[in-house]
Formats: sequence, C-alpha cells, structure tokens
Amino acid sequence: MTLRRSMLFLPGSNAAMLSTAFVFEADSFMFDLEDAVSLREKDTARLLVYHALKMPAYAKREKVVRINPLSTPFGRLDLEAVVRAGVDVVRLPKTDTAEDVADLETEVERIERACGREVGSTRLMAAIESASGVVNALAIAKASPRIMGIALAGFDYVMDMQTQRGDGTELFYARCAVLHAARAARVDAFDVVFGDVNDEAGFLKEVDLIKRLGFTGKSLINPRQIELLHNAFAPAQEEVDYARRVVAAAAQAEEKGLGVVSLNGKMVDAPVIAMAERVLQRAAASGVRQ
Amino acid sequence: MNIVRDSIAGTLESNDLLVKVSPAQDEGLELHVNSEVIHQFGAQIEAVVRETLSRLGVTNALVLIEDKGALDCSIRARVQAAVLRASDATGIDWEALS
Amino acid sequence: MSEGGDELDFSVVDPTLDAGERAAVIALLAECGLDYEENIEALVVCRREGRLVACAGLECNIVKCVATCPDYRGENLSLKVVSEVVALAHERGHTHLFLYTRPENVSVFAGCGFYPLVEAPGYVTVMENTPIGIRSYCNRLKALRKDMPRIGSIVMNANPFTYGHRYLVERAAEACDWLHLFVVAEDVSLISYRDRYALVAEGVKDITNLTLHHGSQYMISRATFSAYFFKEKGIVGDCVSAIDLLLFRNYIAPALGITHRYVGTEPFCATTLKYNEDMKYWLQADVSPAAPVAVVEVERTTATGVPISASEVRRLLRNERFDRIAEIVPPATLDVLLKNYAPMRRRSVELPPGASEAEGWQTLASLPGGSRQ
Repeated sequence: MTLRRSMLFLPGSNAAMLSTAFVFEADSFMFDLEDAVSLREKDTARLLVYHALKMPAYAKREKVVRINPLSTPFGRLDLEAVVRAGVDVVRLPKTDTAEDVADLETEVERIERACGREVGSTRLMAAIESASGVVNALAIAKASPRIMGIALAGFDYVMDMQTQRGDGTELFYARCAVLHAARAARVDAFDVVFGDVNDEAGFLKEVDLIKRLGFTGKSLINPRQIELLHNAFAPAQEEVDYARRVVAAAAQAEEKGLGVVSLNGKMVDAPVIAMAERVLQRAAASGVRQ
Repeated sequence: MNIVRDSIAGTLESNDLLVKVSPAQDEGLELHVNSEVIHQFGAQIEAVVRETLSRLGVTNALVLIEDKGALDCSIRARVQAAVLRASDATGIDWEALS
Repeated sequence: MSEGGDELDFSVVDPTLDAGERAAVIALLAECGLDYEENIEALVVCRREGRLVACAGLECNIVKCVATCPDYRGENLSLKVVSEVVALAHERGHTHLFLYTRPENVSVFAGCGFYPLVEAPGYVTVMENTPIGIRSYCNRLKALRKDMPRIGSIVMNANPFTYGHRYLVERAAEACDWLHLFVVAEDVSLISYRDRYALVAEGVKDITNLTLHHGSQYMISRATFSAYFFKEKGIVGDCVSAIDLLLFRNYIAPALGITHRYVGTEPFCATTLKYNEDMKYWLQADVSPAAPVAVVEVERTTATGVPISASEVRRLLRNERFDRIAEIVPPATLDVLLKNYAPMRRRSVELPPGASEAEGWQTLASLPGGSRQ
C-alpha cells in the first residue's frame, strides 16, 4: 500500500525546481509538461524532465509526469521520453473516455517494448477535467490494469460546467462521482489543487473536507502545503491507539492460527484491519495530528 | 548531427544554464564555458557538454555556455535541446540522449 | 509551484499599434529616469496583477528601454524580462544582440548574459550577448594584419561609390604603407550592401597596398551608430558616435595595427560633419586606454567645381540626371544605378518590341559608361 497524500506539481521547464525539489517530503512528485510549460519550452522541458527522472535523488520517490494530450504534437514525444526515462506513473490530462486511456496504453506498451522496459511497469493516472470525464469516471478508472488512480482537475472542469471556482459547491458532484468511481475500481482518488498558497485556513478547510469524503490525496502547487496536508491527514492519538490494538489483535489471531480476529470480545473484520493499517502507516509517515 | 542554424535553450536563473549553439565559424567544435562556479566545476561542466555533444554526433559547431550552477542533468538537457533546435535532424535518437 | 496570484504575465506588444501599452511603458521608463526611444519594433511587457512591472524594447538586434518597477526590484525581474526579449529576438531571427544601458547598470545586464563592449564615459554602455563576439571578430581581423609603420584605414558607406571615394582611397593609399578599407555592411541604404561592396571592390582593384573588408556589426552599424542611418530623425546627441568610434579605437585599430584613419571633408551633411568632428575627439583625445588613431581629413575632390558626394548622386538619381551622375561616378557605378536603381527606366526596357522606348533611355545608352552588355 503506497501512501499518496500529497502529489507536488513541478513545472517541467524550471531546472532549479527539478534539481532541488527532492528535498521536499511529498509522497509523489508530478513533473508537469502540460499547462505549466509554454509552447516555446515544450521541447526543452521534456528533456529536463527526461534527465530529472533519472536523477539518483529521485530514485526512491514516486515520479509522475503529466504529459500533453496525445492529440497535441507534444504528447507522443513526451510519452516516449518519460517511459524511456523510467517514470512510475504517466498522468494523462483531459481524460474524457475509457478509449483515451486505451489509446495511451497502446502507445505506452509500444514504447516499453521498444526500449526494453518490462511491459506493464508504467502505471497510468487519468485526470478528469470535463463533464463527460466525470460521467465516464468509472469506465475510465477501470479502463486499464495500469490505472493506479484518477484525479479531478478543477480548472477546466468548472469551465466545462459553465461555472467558476467558489466555496466548493461547484465541485460537489464531481468530487463524489470521481471518488466513487475510484473506490469502486479499487484505485486511488486525488483532489484538485488549491490555488491560493497564502490562504492557509482555506486550504485546511478544503483538505478537511476531502479527507472526510475519503480522497487518497491532493495535488499541490507549493511545497509549503505539504506539511499542512500531511498533518491534516495524520491520525489523532486515540485513532493510533485503537489501530495499534486492532493490528495487535490481528497479529495475535494470525499467530494462533485463528480465522477470526476479536478485540474486546467483538469481532473485527478485514476492512477494519486494513483501515487500522492505513492509520498506522500515516502515523509512521508524519506522526500524530498536531 | 549537422548544426544548420543558431539556437538558444535554457535560462540564466540560478541552478540553470543558457546554451547557445551556432554553425561552426571554422571547422571543428568551438566551446566556451562561462560559469559562476568556473574555478570549482569548469572542467566538469566542459566534460559533460563535450560528452553530450559527442553522443549527439555534433562535431562542427560553436557552443556557448552560461552556467548558473546547474546540475549535470540540466546541462545535458539544455545542451540537447539547443542542439536539436539548431540541427536539421527530424527524429530523436533516444539512445543518444541517455 | 507557482505563487498563485503573484504570477508574472509576459506579453509582446507592437508600440506603433498599441498606444495604451506604449503610454504605460513611457510612464514606467520615466519612473526609472529613462526616455522612451523611437524605432522600437516590439515591447515585452511584464504585468503582475494587471500592473506593469517591467518592460524591454527591441529594435532589430538591439535591446533598449529595459526598466523594472522600483517596487519590485530584487526579484530578478530584469533577468526575466531580458530573457523574454532575447527569446523574442531569436524568434525574429536576431541571435547576436546588443544592449544599451547606463554604465551603472552594467552589472544587472552582466547577469542576463550580456558582456560590456564599450562605454561612452558616464553616458551609455553598449553590451553584446556573447563573450566571444568582438574577440573572435578581432581574431579574424588579426589574420589580415600587416606589420608596417603606417597603417591607414577608411570606413565608407559608398552609397554609391563615386570618384570622390576613389580620390580618398588613392590619397590614403599613397600616404600609407598599407590601407584597410571597410564597407559599411548595414543594409538600410538606398544602394544594397551587395552592390555597394561590389562597386568599391571594382573601384579600388588596381590599388595594390590595400585590403578590402566587409563591414561588421562593430562599425557604423545600426547597433553601434543608429543615428547615422536615421539622420532625418534629428536625434544626433553628443555621444551617438562615441560608441562607434571607441569600438574602432579599442578593438579594430589594435587588431589591425591601424595608425591613421582617413575621412573626406564634409561640406553638405550635418551628421557626417559632426561625425568627422567627433572622430577627431574620440580617436585622438585621452579618452581611452587604447593608443590614439590619427585622423586625416582629405579635402574632397570636385567635379565641375562642386565637391563630389554620394548624397549628391542620390539626389541626381531621384531627378534622373544620369548625365550629371556620369560625371562623378565610375562607369561601373553608373551601370549598376541604371540597372538596379532606376525603376522608371527599367520598366521602359521591358516594353514589348516595337513599343516606343522612353526618350531618356536612348540618351542614357549613349552616355559614356552607359552601355549595358
């Protein structure tokens, strides 16, 4: 189980950020070749990311690259570069249908074979940025075994919906739909970026909401948001204490060869144990919520 | 790879570099490196640039580097980008870029 | 990792079309104690939350009018706006760039990849965006160096080459052991550079102690001396020629071992007259670490009592007085003028057979040197 609370956006054309961002404790790094890169810089950003992916400093970190859509002149070149460079996850922007994922998968497999990379080792992530994407979310999430998660991207979505970003009401259905699709398909779900890095309270309010809804994590645009997010996702002390007892009981049952786990005379079933393991994992990563 | 036009890639922000590639004025490879860390890393920067150019098969060119403390991987990327922009090549040989 | 609302928004505007942006730029420049310069073809403007915070102008391959809002200094805005204007210049095909700035701001632009070339003391510094531009130019010149005591030089536009130019070259070649003759390369004159150079080459081919050079960005070019080409704009300040002349004294003359520079007296054109006067100062006075270059003014030769000048030729050309032109230019020049610079005449040549040719044309064909084989 990989912890994916924070996914930090890094503009692919910014050499300084690419060559220093590994000092941050984000769970995943998302190198962006799409909207953060001007048309003029597409080629050189692709090469910067190609080499950054191979940096030893990123070796143990999860590396995601947001490529340009395959319908642009850049998408296939981006894909060629990042699959060859050993990217963990390719993030496809503007995913509207399961076919978009299938098309991407075909290309990825071709490149994997061409460069001698294990077929299937490149995971995919679909960003949903439109009304049709939201409606097709389940099909998208199930479109390929390579899909590790789906993400809602708010900027294009609200435009497609003929509204604008506000208090979150405008994203309510999309968040729920994407989240349900992800959970039904057993993949991760990622929430939109929060644009105003100076509005800490607003950010925390949004984080609290998406955590309670059940999102796996959130895309971030500023490293200052990482610790805030991780702390908000960290369990409270009593949650940790309870999770320890659950996990200990499960271990005990395992040791004794019992088929049933019980705690304080009550039966504990598998989802509760999985939940407890997640709680301990988050606590191990960033302690108890402050 | 033939250099047929002037090109530029990169920036002068810290941790980056600016690379300019032009057709050779005389036969051969003319390389000038200017760096904020020239005393410490000048030789290494030059070695990385030369190796990158050699893998791309660039033997006739004027190459100017303005380094602002870039890591080797950024140097490779910016040099490759400048060469591809300046060359008449159509495809990309990924093996030559690694 | 953008900074949300603090993002910088760059755009390119044409100051001749966008009066609003032009006015905003003029205001920002004024805030920084700078004047707006005419002839700017494109402006890079940088806005933050709608407010103009930086600008940079481009005229061909010259960066000028770079300013950053005093409230935003220290954020490396200069670097960003200069990088944008350099990228814009590249897109427009200009890779070798020059930048004008105040001497006290040289360090700012040194951080933007520009290298100082020369300073008109206390007034302006010209920089170029390569560390090897002037150096490799001088190295190429050095290959043509003659080690003799008296080395003369002439820089001429030859727009077009006249008997006056010929006379000046002859006098200089006689007086010197060797003569370096440069033809201004900037292609903004009536006569194309190609034609000007070819006519000079033809006109001096019998002179044996002479090297003919192509001009360069570093002498009487738009970059070093734009006022020379835009005389009518009346922007002739005190220092406009200092940059050009100091480049000659500090770099070109030492590379070739030039000891003397020859120039014709100027009876007509105020800009050229001023240039000659400036030349005596900047090449000879104690204003440079480089050795002085002696300026020799040669009295203009005359034809029918009037000093010969290229501007007179152009005036005669406008009035189609080829008979008068023939008196003051060599046959080769007349030939080229007839062939390439007399559009009215040219059209008459293309008339179908049998159509009556313009009367003037018949006259021309019978002129000395006017044959067109």
